[in-house]
Amino acid sequence: MRNIFAVAGVVIKELYRRKDFYVLFIVTVLICLVMASVNIYHDDKIVRYLKEICLLLVWISSLVIAITTTARQIPAERENRTLLPLLAKPLSRSQLVLGKFLGCWIACGLTLLCFYVFLGALAGSRDHHWPVLDYFQAATLHWFALGIVVALSLLGSLVFAAPSSNSTICFVVVAGILLLGRHLDQVALQLSEPMRGITLAIYYVIPHLEFFDMRDLVIHDWPLIAWKFYGLAILYALAYIGVFLAGACLAFRRKAVN
Amino acid sequence: MNSSRTLFLGLLALLVFSFGLAAYLQPQYVVMPLSRADGDIFKITLGESRELFANEFYVKADAYYHSGFYPTIFDNNEAFKTAHVGEDTGAVSSKNHGEEASFMGPPRDWIDAFGRHFLPDRHTHLDSGGADDDLSGSDEVGEILPWLKLSTDLDPKNVQNYSVTAYWLQRMHQTNSAFRVLMDGLHHNPGSPDILFELGRLYAGSYQQTNRAVNVWRAAAHNWHPMSGTNDAVFANNFIYEKITTQLGQTERDEGHLQAAIDWFEKAKAVSRTPDAVQGLIDETKKEMSSSAPAAASSDP
Amino acid sequence: MTTILKTEKLRVEYRSRETRHGVKVALNGLDLEVRAGEVFGFLGPNGAGKTTTMNVLLGFVPPTSGAASLFGIDVRQPIARQRIGYLPELTYYYKFLSAEELLRFYAKIFGIPRAEADRRIDELLKLVELEHARKRPIKSYSKGMQQRAGLAQALINNPDLLVLDEPTSGLDPVGRMKVREIIQRLKNEGKTVFFSSHELGEVETVCDRVAVIHEGELKALGRVDEIRKPHHTNLEQAFLEIIGFQPQVTP
Repeated sequence: MRNIFAVAGVVIKELYRRKDFYVLFIVTVLICLVMASVNIYHDDKIVRYLKEICLLLVWISSLVIAITTTARQIPAERENRTLLPLLAKPLSRSQLVLGKFLGCWIACGLTLLCFYVFLGALAGSRDHHWPVLDYFQAATLHWFALGIVVALSLLGSLVFAAPSSNSTICFVVVAGILLLGRHLDQVALQLSEPMRGITLAIYYVIPHLEFFDMRDLVIHDWPLIAWKFYGLAILYALAYIGVFLAGACLAFRRKAVN
Repeated sequence: MNSSRTLFLGLLALLVFSFGLAAYLQPQYVVMPLSRADGDIFKITLGESRELFANEFYVKADAYYHSGFYPTIFDNNEAFKTAHVGEDTGAVSSKNHGEEASFMGPPRDWIDAFGRHFLPDRHTHLDSGGADDDLSGSDEVGEILPWLKLSTDLDPKNVQNYSVTAYWLQRMHQTNSAFRVLMDGLHHNPGSPDILFELGRLYAGSYQQTNRAVNVWRAAAHNWHPMSGTNDAVFANNFIYEKITTQLGQTERDEGHLQAAIDWFEKAKAVSRTPDAVQGLIDETKKEMSSSAPAAASSDP
Repeated sequence: MTTILKTEKLRVEYRSRETRHGVKVALNGLDLEVRAGEVFGFLGPNGAGKTTTMNVLLGFVPPTSGAASLFGIDVRQPIARQRIGYLPELTYYYKFLSAEELLRFYAKIFGIPRAEADRRIDELLKLVELEHARKRPIKSYSKGMQQRAGLAQALINNPDLLVLDEPTSGLDPVGRMKVREIIQRLKNEGKTVFFSSHELGEVETVCDRVAVIHEGELKALGRVDEIRKPHHTNLEQAFLEIIGFQPQVTP
């Protein structure tokens, strides 16, 4: 575990020393503040559209950070030749993969914390209402969704040749799941075999990230999700994370490092 | 004079020249045929696709009206063909039928069943707050306004956006804002019967100026033109005329001008999709007329 | 004397489209032993298999057949690398870290306690003359400074075996002298050094034993004077004769 945390620490340092997070955070803040300054019939209590815009930007930014940060981890180590001195230490390849995952995931968590604190401050300044538990549920489920995305991206970085192709494929897959994942079974019914079977198989195999998208509930002030289902969603995320990480460890074991 | 100073002065001279040239050419550009100098940023950047965005934002307003409990393109949206945010104003013809609370149907599998715990799950309307439906206790319906405003700005030719926006502003007691929206709508759509009808409702309801309301409704009726065919546009056109003439009929009836009321109701019946209901109004007015006539006869010396 | 490093009939094959059978043999039955406390030179022309041997010893590449061990532990176990330090030929480290952070990171992997790590970091940065730049990111270092940082990270765990791949490559004479001093110092402390080099003059000066490898096979193994003696010449000439080099131009 010590080695895993050591590798994770370096990944977190890399994130806050790069510009990605700061640029995305500042862009999000600026857009939201501009939107907040718009005069909507002199009613300054209107807040839901702000929450929607902010949450959309948070989701986009967090996915960009998660995928791009993770996609370049191991390829950059190989390209920059930092992989050899690292593996020459008493560190197994699996520990390296797990350390990279943990570092990227914690880094995503820290960025989410900043984004959600901003969202809470922005929305709360308007409606004077701070549903802390709602934000907690939304942020933690979002974080676990990013965990799945990070694990997927890490596996992709060991399968695909270039970080750019890995990033593109991950973005397309994640966007597809978020937009269409819930409805793939309905799409399948309108197709003929063998596409119907393939689509249904995809529907059952993909990680359903929409379970972790609580935006509508936060925007429209719906009550909390039952903690039982919250817990089940987290277990679901951990299962997929485990599967993707196992695949990544297996793929890395067989990969040449020099 | 060193080279960097020369370069700086040269650039400055170029900047001054550019501004001068732009100022000289601007008036000629404005009067050029097909120029895009009318300043509408949405028209310039989006072109005709702004109507698509306007429609999307109008639907978004309806989704907000339902607090996010809204069908996707994959769900059964028979009960949402006409946005409820417009339907509830009473000034938009409705094509809705079916069950609005169960558009998702029963869960198809465990994934669908589990996923529904993370979505809004009840059919509600945002205007159901406050005592006596007067919204005084709930200002949540204002949450639809940003999307209606955006829809209006993107497609100023869509008269329904103005009347729906003004209706909800009235309900929220923002009468002046409602008035400005309708004036803006008339600026972009001069003489529109839909907007004039809503303006009349504003005069009658919020400003308590019945005479003015009647004048506006008469102008709306005068500006209405029949359309031929059987498509949705024709039904909507007939619907607004029905509303205008029915409203005028009710007002005349309240003022005691019963024959004038019957005349307006007859015009409404001619375009109505529910002529029996309008006939009922005509019959009631005739009954009222006949009951007041014997009283008048008995009071004659 | 204890055997620190051992290979037995080590064979490594790579897939290659250039050869007739689609397989290139990088190492062919290499038997090697390095004893505790000695400075061992690993020599060979380019493409001889030196780097492949090091890659196997460091666990980067699995052998096709045969065995390799460090301190009696199979090289495929990460724990085999607990007591070694490795300096690659090309020294690249995390550009966003400072030298101090880099050394602290590696110290954590070795499980060195914080206080001990602090002491060693101070000592090593002084040794490689990077104290003035310890907080600066590595991306701001010159090539020489990066190589010195590399040397420091190879020594962070006070290794019993130091594996150096062309340690003086690209260094100026002062740098080369410093590396020789460090190797000598380690030898005096009873450490073992295993390094590959093309600087045969240097090898002659510091090494106790050398091995000459060519086309994946061990051609000579023994003390420097034992290698030189049969050829009645210096190590460089002996090396050329061992690998069968025929000069084109007679001096």
